Amino acid sequence: MSTAAEAIEAERAPAVRAPVLAIRDLAVTFPGAVKALRGVTLDIAPGEIVGLVGESGSGKSVLGLAALGLLPPAATITGSVLLDGRQMVGTSDEERRLARRRYAGAVFQDPMTSLNPTMKVGRQVAEAAGSTEAAIEALERARVPEPRRRAGQYPHELSGGLRQRVMIAMAIAGSPDLVVADEPTTALDVTVQAEILALLTTIRDETGSSILFVTHDLAVAAELADRIAVLYGGRLAEIGPAADVLHRPCHPYTVALMAARLRGDSPRATMLPTLEGEPPDPRALPPGCPFAPRCPLAEPACDAALPEPEAAPTHDGLVACLHAGESAGARLRVREAPSPRGDPEGAATLDVGVPLGQKRGPTGATPHPGPALLLTDITKAFGKGDRRRAVVDGLSLEVPAGGSLALVGESGCGKTTTLRMAVGLENPDGGEIHVGPGGSPQLVFQDAGASLTPWLTVGEMLEERLRTDGLDAPARRTRSVEVLQMVGLPADVATRRPRQLSGGQRQRVALARAVAVPPALLACDEPISALDVSLAATVLNLLMNLRAELGMAMLFVTHDLAAARFIGDRVAVMAGGRIIEEGPSEDILTNPQHPHTAALVGAIPRFEAHA
Amino acid sequence: MARLVLSRLAALAVILLALSAIVFALEAMIPSDPVRAMVGASATKEAVAAKRHELGFDKPLPVQYVRFLGRAATGNLSDSLRTRRPVVTDLGNFLPATLELAGAAAIIAAVLGGLLGIATARGKGTAPRLLMLAGASAPPFLLALALLMLFYSKWHILPSSGRLSSSITPPAGPTGLLVIDGLVHGRFDVVSDALWHLALPAFCLALGPAVALGRTLRSSLQTVLTQDHIRTARAKGLKERTVLLRHALRSALNAPLTMGGLQVGLLLAGVVVIESVFAWPGVGLYTVQSISSTDFPAVAGVTLVLGALYVVINSLVDLAQIVADPRLRAA
Repeated sequence: MSTAAEAIEAERAPAVRAPVLAIRDLAVTFPGAVKALRGVTLDIAPGEIVGLVGESGSGKSVLGLAALGLLPPAATITGSVLLDGRQMVGTSDEERRLARRRYAGAVFQDPMTSLNPTMKVGRQVAEAAGSTEAAIEALERARVPEPRRRAGQYPHELSGGLRQRVMIAMAIAGSPDLVVADEPTTALDVTVQAEILALLTTIRDETGSSILFVTHDLAVAAELADRIAVLYGGRLAEIGPAADVLHRPCHPYTVALMAARLRGDSPRATMLPTLEGEPPDPRALPPGCPFAPRCPLAEPACDAALPEPEAAPTHDGLVACLHAGESAGARLRVREAPSPRGDPEGAATLDVGVPLGQKRGPTGATPHPGPALLLTDITKAFGKGDRRRAVVDGLSLEVPAGGSLALVGESGCGKTTTLRMAVGLENPDGGEIHVGPGGSPQLVFQDAGASLTPWLTVGEMLEERLRTDGLDAPARRTRSVEVLQMVGLPADVATRRPRQLSGGQRQRVALARAVAVPPALLACDEPISALDVSLAATVLNLLMNLRAELGMAMLFVTHDLAAARFIGDRVAVMAGGRIIEEGPSEDILTNPQHPHTAALVGAIPRFEAHA
Repeated sequence: MARLVLSRLAALAVILLALSAIVFALEAMIPSDPVRAMVGASATKEAVAAKRHELGFDKPLPVQYVRFLGRAATGNLSDSLRTRRPVVTDLGNFLPATLELAGAAAIIAAVLGGLLGIATARGKGTAPRLLMLAGASAPPFLLALALLMLFYSKWHILPSSGRLSSSITPPAGPTGLLVIDGLVHGRFDVVSDALWHLALPAFCLALGPAVALGRTLRSSLQTVLTQDHIRTARAKGLKERTVLLRHALRSALNAPLTMGGLQVGLLLAGVVVIESVFAWPGVGLYTVQSISSTDFPAVAGVTLVLGALYVVINSLVDLAQIVADPRLRAA
């Protein structure tokens, strides 16, 4: 560990003041031998913003909680965490509480659930600020408009962005030296995200607070971090100045993350580059480098021992990889699969036992004349009396048979309601819905875990779906295995229950259930927004493949313009219950016509690390 | 808020109507003759018929029901066949005692249940939980007898029956609740003696509901304590006590309040047994005696009043839930 510590000291050479947060060799294990962190060393200098990036299960949130001394009593913690010189490991609850109260603030992911729903926000901020006046001042500093009026409101009366500003006000109310922000923008719309990121930077500039910014999204970290730390399998993979880590990464995982990131200009003709495999299970970590099983550079030496962070060859930071020098070079190839639109790889496995109807590419001839979905002037309002509000207001759209339309918009624009009406889960108040021939549309939800029945095995769920198709029992069993293959899952997944699967596997199972009887129209409601970058790319590739193979039309609802552009032949942008712009997907990002679309495009994080 | 009150009043009317219909139908179906019971076995046929006509029992059933409703609407619940007094007068005499007993029990249940729920929410306090569970699983009459044996027969700490010692004259009015009346008139001897008499029956009545409330509050608190906003409260550096009492408790009240409203029904049913055991001169005792003498006007009156009480209390529960959770106010 001494090399790492020395290297960190060397790296921090310009910073003469004591670090606000000094983490040394921190290891956290939860009951059930879940190793969340395995020896992490990290300093945060006064006024510094450190972006802590990692996939779910990497240990990034655990590190944030450890900094606050908020880990549950059941966790076994070793190492040292000094918050302004106060030890947060092994000390009493009361010592940690006082350190937290005096030196730290926290902003969490979902401001709706992170605020107390039964208490006015002013009072909640005042608990941290000490007085009502100080609370108003904190709300002002967090740029909450009309702070006095807002202070008298409850969280549910505020918009998502305002709620997060209230959270930030609460975090900075006690003038802390460190703010831990754990995925503070993940639950927010992209334009609101941009505002919140700008606010956090401003607050750092004004107050000099350091910020530990935890996120799964490199691009978001790039927006505000001075330094970026990449966490993988409970270990620090790479850390360095933000611009260096983004533009000269030397850990193969960082390189892969950058490549798998869906951008506004990802080529649509080829599949997205993806990382093979899934993040390691923190209950069964390999003895060596945790990334080795997925790493294209891996060799036996990588599996022998955990690599320690050492001076990076390409930048001023540290990297924990035996091949750090090579990874930036040509030897690292992230898997690039051939285009699903051309000659799909693995077509044989997709060729399943039941006739699928005519196969054709998405741009080819359609099996049925007419659209797969036609919505004409539909309206839908919710609420009673004075509170009745039109959510969808005279919307028309068409998904051609075999075609794909991505419906993009911010939360509350009516996109999900539109999708629910399209698949018949909701009845419109007015207008017409015409669904093309070929059976009822199937639906894939955002939270795949919640949409699967917890007490049924995957096989039972698939067979239940197939029973409606009149297959006998042996045929159903054969067919479910085929469907699992189709979504890239091994046959033995059929015997498992949802909680025994990873997030990525659950999303695949949800997809398998939706296409077990191939529908003419597949409707997806934000299927990738809960997934990590590399998993999101995998699911998008899978959707493109399935669509090409099964000739399905697709209605894809998302808040993510880049994903919309990738998956949709056409993109429709929704705002206020109407479609404000619709066009070929290539044009929407490059040449948005409507100002609202332009604002959405402008708010996409773009990997431009600030100086 | 106004809409809620209106809808509850409408519900109250519907429920009372249904209750009255059930009571009336029961009266019509049961093969006992209240008129015969009134006039006595030696009365002549003519006398019976005259009495029957006088009381309206010779009219068709729907007409009897409408007449019954009409009288009830004007606050006339007929005369008790047993006591020969108007049922309303009887209820006026017996209801305050029951309200005092049930009210005391409700307070004990809320306090005990709240303490139990809070104490056991974080996996501690297993012993009190088991003890209370054991107490609540015993039938109320058994519990009552056991407590009487200990506190009355063996230790002579608490009285065995009645609302007040015979040596004390209760003050007149205004509520009929002895504790309140005692306070109003500054008669603290009455207050303490009434509380003395209340202790055992109210506790016996309260224990079951207290355990139900405590368990509901416990599981509700346990759910709330895992929520994000609790983590936020801890991140602020608030004391664990503050986190629990100020942040978790209020968010956790919805389910226990619902449970409390439902328990009122059980409490009112338990009153019948407990009043009999402790010779408590309330509606429960009155009901038992009325049933054994097929005194249907009395039974109908009690049913309607207790039914109304139940609906009113559950409406108050709805209101309390809205006060506790501001998100419900928009709905």
